[in-house]
Amino acid sequence: MVKNKDKFKIRIFPSTISSLLSDDIDKQILSPLSCLQEFETNWLLEFDLPLVNKKDIKITFDENSISVEAKLKEIYSEEKFGVKTKFEYFKKMLTLPGKIDSKKAFAKFTKGRLTITIPKIISGHKIKIK
Amino acid sequence: MQISKKSSKENILLVGFPSNGLVGTFTISYLVHHLKMKQIGEIEHPDLPPTLFVEDGEILPPIRIYKKNNLFVILSDLPFDPFVAYDFAESILDYSKKNQIKKIIIISGMETVNKDPKSPKIFGLVTHKSLEKLLYDYEISKFLAGSIFGTDAAMITAFRKSKIPALILYAECHPFFPDPEASVVAITTLARVLNVKVDTTDIQKKIEWLRIQHRNLMEETIRSLQQHQQEKKPGRAPQIYR
Repeated sequence: MVKNKDKFKIRIFPSTISSLLSDDIDKQILSPLSCLQEFETNWLLEFDLPLVNKKDIKITFDENSISVEAKLKEIYSEEKFGVKTKFEYFKKMLTLPGKIDSKKAFAKFTKGRLTITIPKIISGHKIKIK
Repeated sequence: MQISKKSSKENILLVGFPSNGLVGTFTISYLVHHLKMKQIGEIEHPDLPPTLFVEDGEILPPIRIYKKNNLFVILSDLPFDPFVAYDFAESILDYSKKNQIKKIIIISGMETVNKDPKSPKIFGLVTHKSLEKLLYDYEISKFLAGSIFGTDAAMITAFRKSKIPALILYAECHPFFPDPEASVVAITTLARVLNVKVDTTDIQKKIEWLRIQHRNLMEETIRSLQQHQQEKKPGRAPQIYR
């Protein structure tokens, strides 16, 4: 790791085995952080996509899975296993819970955070109160 | 960064560790760097995963103590599980007593419901009434209601029972993603409280890079915070829905 004393730097936390496996070193793909929250009528899926422009994001639904791919606006370098590795893309595929209306899903991208709102398909039957 | 002549001469301890948005880690690291503080010690714990950092051939422990003039800093690069969190808090209390610390300031992040993404707010919580004036003087909104868990809670528990008052500065942040932008607000507020001048240009230029670089630490921190939450779950109580 090259130290530049004039620039602010925070120690980079060592990669865990799971996180090492999620980044694809050969294809130069980073796995972005994401989180899924459930609300009454929809799911909210968020991806942290810094160094990305809105026009370079591709979102694809396939039945109950979603794939997000984004090209970085500049190459990101990181040391893994003592080797300097370059990354050019973010990519992640997630399996979503059942009964979603993917055709009514919509996305927003603000300050490098992608939020995708996916409505639930509400179904069921009424029961009488005796 | 320059220390103003008006700076207080009483010993102050700043504490930062990974929590929501990694706000404490970013904020305290930035201050240590800009103040050119000298590392004077380290904290070890047998239950911490054996981790060391090597920088320019120099071996660095994950929990370090820094000092410059009357300002002390304890900075951890590792998140803590519930058991280690209490030991960490107790060891900091012990260290504060031995070094005549008059107040400690903890920096952390919090998720809020109505967060304005354009301007994250800072909330303050104090363990002793003697520090309440500080909130008014620096126009820091008081943290009025909510729940606290994790290392923050362990620290507050330890210090509220002691004679050393603690101020906890919470910056509104994204709870699951690294949020260096929130830490810029925390740095600015902390600088006002410490009466020092700080230029945040460096960190503002690196916000996007810091978010990518700290994905692993964020994941580890969330895991630790989830452990803290699980600790609080009652064993046989029925599931309550709302």
